[in-house]
Amino acid sequence: MAKRGYLKELTKGVVKENPVLCLVLGTCPTLAVTTSASNAIGMGIAATAVLICSNAVISALRKFIPDKVRIPAYITIIAGFVTVVQMLVKAFAPAINDSLGIFLPLIVVNCIILGRAEMFAGKNPVIPSILDGIGMGIGFTAALLLMGIIRELFGSGTVFGVQLLPVQILIFILPPGGFFVFGMLIMLANKLNTRAGKAVKTTPCAGCPLAESCSKRACSEDGKEAAENAD
Amino acid sequence: MLIKSLIAVFLAAILTENYVLSKFLGICPFLGVSKKLNTAVGMSVAVTFVMVLATAVTFPIYMYILVPSGMEYLQTVLFILIIAGLVQLVEIVLKKYIPALYKSLGIYLPLITTNCAVLGVTMLVLQKVGPDYTYIHALVNAFGAGIGFLVAMVMFAGVRGRLENADIPKSLKGLPITLVAASLTSLSFLGFAGFVEKLIPLS
Amino acid sequence: MNGILFAVALVAGIGLLIGLILSIASILMAVPKDEKAEKILEALPGANCGACGFSGCSGYADALAKGKAEVGLCAPGGLACVTEISAILGVETGSIEKKVAAVHCMGSLDNTSYLAEYNGIKSCAAALRIGGGLTACSYGCMGLGDCEAVCPYDAIHVCNGVAVVDNDKCKACAMCVKECPRHIISIVPYKNSAVVRCSNKDKGAVTRKVCSAGCIGCKKCEKNCPVNAIKVTDFCASIDPSLCTGCGVCADNCPQHCISYLSPY
Repeated sequence: MAKRGYLKELTKGVVKENPVLCLVLGTCPTLAVTTSASNAIGMGIAATAVLICSNAVISALRKFIPDKVRIPAYITIIAGFVTVVQMLVKAFAPAINDSLGIFLPLIVVNCIILGRAEMFAGKNPVIPSILDGIGMGIGFTAALLLMGIIRELFGSGTVFGVQLLPVQILIFILPPGGFFVFGMLIMLANKLNTRAGKAVKTTPCAGCPLAESCSKRACSEDGKEAAENAD
Repeated sequence: MLIKSLIAVFLAAILTENYVLSKFLGICPFLGVSKKLNTAVGMSVAVTFVMVLATAVTFPIYMYILVPSGMEYLQTVLFILIIAGLVQLVEIVLKKYIPALYKSLGIYLPLITTNCAVLGVTMLVLQKVGPDYTYIHALVNAFGAGIGFLVAMVMFAGVRGRLENADIPKSLKGLPITLVAASLTSLSFLGFAGFVEKLIPLS
Repeated sequence: MNGILFAVALVAGIGLLIGLILSIASILMAVPKDEKAEKILEALPGANCGACGFSGCSGYADALAKGKAEVGLCAPGGLACVTEISAILGVETGSIEKKVAAVHCMGSLDNTSYLAEYNGIKSCAAALRIGGGLTACSYGCMGLGDCEAVCPYDAIHVCNGVAVVDNDKCKACAMCVKECPRHIISIVPYKNSAVVRCSNKDKGAVTRKVCSAGCIGCKKCEKNCPVNAIKVTDFCASIDPSLCTGCGVCADNCPQHCISYLSPY
């Protein structure tokens, strides 16, 4: 039983609850770094590393962190790991550091990491949290990779630097292209989900780590919809 | 000369380097809160306020404490702590002294702590520091970033208002069509490329 | 070692400083919480409909806690809510009579028709701007569902081309009353109440041409009412709910069968 439960934690983040395409979290890096497939993988691996480590530590400390300072404590732990990952990337893969730019330190406010910490690691033991982190990280990386490949293929004609197409449609690697490809991917994900009979999330607020305290008032319409769609 | 460069920085932050549509910061609230015009404006004003305040506090800390002691790597941890604390403080002050403002803006404040745009602006202004880019430029840049956020949100709220009445195919309903609309809005901003340099020649 | 110590000291120091500032601020600038207002807010239904006349449930709760409002103003809350609020405030429970919304039109697709096929924005307010609405009767329900869209209790639906209220679900919050662009919905007491299902102010002959169930202003109801609660003005009958006893004589006498009563007496 425990093994099957563990496998489920691992795989749910990849398809059923893919953080980017189903929960619509972490949209900023998804749109910004997917101009090429190698950037996408770099970001995905960095975020996964932070996610696994922070999930593990937060889950281990969950009984000791007082409830009032929960969010600042989580943010501090995540920030620590992000700084470590940032320094590692700077040392061993400086090209990735330059192309990711500011989005590497911005992993600290990536809704996926804070969201999973709040919703999962803060309430579950260490091993399931680590597995959840791995699953969500793989899902995030997969989604980023998919978008990166599409955008790079149409935008520069290459995939991982290998020239495949003679034609280059520049708009794909510019901001508008990012929004457009993301929208199309979500449309595909929605189609697949509704065919499997699942409700479709119409708003990104629902998965936001602060949804509990705010979506009932700030995005109240969205919050209501999200609450209905969540089951 | 100073005024000219300040205006150039301000306009660039709104038009050519729009934080939402060109730099992809602050997308979550952009997609979530832009459904109604008044929530969009409220959120943007709150974001502008926090951005300017955060830059005002973090810039000197970086320049006068972190750089001299060689601790630039503490940037991430310290900045996010300061922003979180600042937002809490602003909430407490607003609640006590301007309750009307708290009622309309205060609910967005917890949302702004994890807004990548705020952390982004505090870090990006530090990358531009040079002989002709000082503290006051950073503040104006942060203010411009917030105003750019406002412009993008208001425009997008208008676009989404029109989308409500349109006949959208089933699979595109909700987020996909919103993202396509965002892509067209972002496309329109690409037209401003080179505008600021032409308008305010600095050399 | 020195570098590590300095870094730890710096981060810890700034963290402590922020914590200190926040603690001092939260003490110095504490806003006295009104416990009563919070309890009342929990007791209220939370629909924020504004029927009480205040700016949402929190506005009403604040006013109640300060003693500046009456207890029985929340129609959606009903008697249960009034009892709870009276208990919190320590006053005697008042009574609240059930009210519902009533649509003054029964122009379903069986009785009336549209002048043209409308393919525009599915909203009564929008359709009204096109030639004054495209219904044969220019006073009646357009059936495009603005009331249905705004109702927070799912109590009004457009059935067969006319709006119909579900009296069990309706809480008389009056959002549909404000939303209807032709103003043909009103709030009436649920018990002992007759309702004239027509708002057509044209002469009887004209009314009959556009709707087979419209009021023709024949005044049979007015002549037969034992309490003078129903009057015909501008070729259309209307009932004063404060006088109506729900006896149903008007409904029995109406040749067009356009008066109904809400609960059998």
